[in-house]
Amino acid sequence: MRALRPWLLLAPALGVLAVLLFWPLVRVVSLSFQEYGLRQINTGESNYTGLDNYREILGDSFLWTTVLPNTVLFAVSCVVLTVVVGTLVALLLQRLGKTWRVICSTVIMMAWAMPAVTGTYVWIWIFDPLNGVVSGGLDAVGAIEPRETNWFTDRWSFYAIATLNVVHHGFPFVAVTLYAALLTIPRELPEAALMDGANAWQRFWRITVPTIRPVFAVVTILSTIWDFKVFAQIYLMPGGSGANPDVLNLGVWSYIQSFSRNEYGMGSAIAVLLTLLLLAITVGYVKALAREGDQL
Amino acid sequence: MTRTGPWRRLGLGAAVAALLAFTLFPVYWMVSSAFDPGADHRGAAVLPEGLTLDHFRYVLDTGEFGRYLTNSALVGLGTVLLSGLLALFAAVAVARFRFRMRTKVLVMVLVVQMVPLEALVIPLFLQMRDLRLLNSLLGLTIVYLAFSLPFAIWTLRGFVAAVPQELEEAAYLDGCGWWRMFRSVLLPLVAPGLVATSVFAFIVAWNEFVFAFVFMQDDAKYTAAVGLHRFFGQYSTDWGAVMAGSTLITLPVLIFFVAVQRRLAAGLAAGAIR
Repeated sequence: MRALRPWLLLAPALGVLAVLLFWPLVRVVSLSFQEYGLRQINTGESNYTGLDNYREILGDSFLWTTVLPNTVLFAVSCVVLTVVVGTLVALLLQRLGKTWRVICSTVIMMAWAMPAVTGTYVWIWIFDPLNGVVSGGLDAVGAIEPRETNWFTDRWSFYAIATLNVVHHGFPFVAVTLYAALLTIPRELPEAALMDGANAWQRFWRITVPTIRPVFAVVTILSTIWDFKVFAQIYLMPGGSGANPDVLNLGVWSYIQSFSRNEYGMGSAIAVLLTLLLLAITVGYVKALAREGDQL
Repeated sequence: MTRTGPWRRLGLGAAVAALLAFTLFPVYWMVSSAFDPGADHRGAAVLPEGLTLDHFRYVLDTGEFGRYLTNSALVGLGTVLLSGLLALFAAVAVARFRFRMRTKVLVMVLVVQMVPLEALVIPLFLQMRDLRLLNSLLGLTIVYLAFSLPFAIWTLRGFVAAVPQELEEAAYLDGCGWWRMFRSVLLPLVAPGLVATSVFAFIVAWNEFVFAFVFMQDDAKYTAAVGLHRFFGQYSTDWGAVMAGSTLITLPVLIFFVAVQRRLAAGLAAGAIR
């Protein structure tokens, strides 16, 4: 009886995870090998077509010229900017007195707290072509003609706004975590370096970065995973829900194939590709980290 | 390290100003547009034309936003209660008992957390459809439960492990059964951990968009994040109403975050450094 007790305690949680995470994962892979449309949904029968979905997606130039570049470039720029801004803010927090530090960290929390959905709406409103603050301001100084400018139709400016949105929402986590990590660096280290005549730049790269490298790795991995699968921040932008095919990323493409076109098999195949991409990135990071660990 | 020359002070001041401006501007713009009677043609006016509650009245009365907020709160509360309970049981199991496969279970929980949930929209949609749980707040609650559970188990495990075993043994010596000990010794001591995981679970449920958007087809069942979508016209948008709705959604989360920020930061740091 006593040997059974831990399993009794674990059973509800493991049951939920099995039914809601593990089984759907098996299911999405199985769906990706089928042509699964409305007919299959209603009858519940399966309709395996082998690798057809994958062949169609990977053979489609749309993936290589639009969706994949959108997903990867966007994620990479978001991660780089998020980590850079987060690091700068963490270093700033370290240099502030108590009062200003509390003020700044409270304000950072506000950016973090803003839900992705409402944050996206606010950025859309800020960049609204007719009545938004940016076009209004630029119009006032005569820089643009508001009725002829729409930042949401062009792929680059669309993603620039999305990047701003994601970085604004994402940097507080990096800043708060790195700030906490900075506090763990023994005071003697930078002081000794200062005595040896190292300037701030050298101290940062030679002491701060190596000491808190594991924390850097964690925030970078997490940001990468989050930024590759961004959905609401793209889907809710004008044209992001499929009206403008130029701005699709993997997540939104998968959604549109499934729920707008009723090609659930195709949508699942895209979702599987996204998952594999994330898996490859995570494994790559972890391997790189392990290699560095060996050297130390 | 503590040289405070005038240039250094100026640099710090400029950095702080830039940070505050970048971080606060969207929040300010949202709240001030929500109260601005002329929000729809605001342009670059820094201050609103005046202050009005009309937009709030509109979204709450005509837009039925009150119902969406209630739905969100119900789903959030359900997620918090269920995930707290299940995660606590699981955490006690892995922190207090030595059994075969213990480490395997822990690693597995960590790995499933890595699965991109967005990739599971399609199978979960089909699964919930078969169970007739689409369009039901319960169905959504169950899905969010799965999202918040792995994190909750890992966090609570640390809290349970930190309670000295001697305290439990003292309770047993006093003649308590296991259940009594659990209720009167363990539960009060892990309460801070439960608060942390509850906040996390509530925010996950409150902010989630994709699943609520796919699952809820009847607009009486919309959560707030999805209901907001209704104020978007194809060609014109009632920005005052959208910003008022956004403010209503953001406010509870904002208060939560600012209130718990110290503990949140400390907890995150502990998790990341360990």
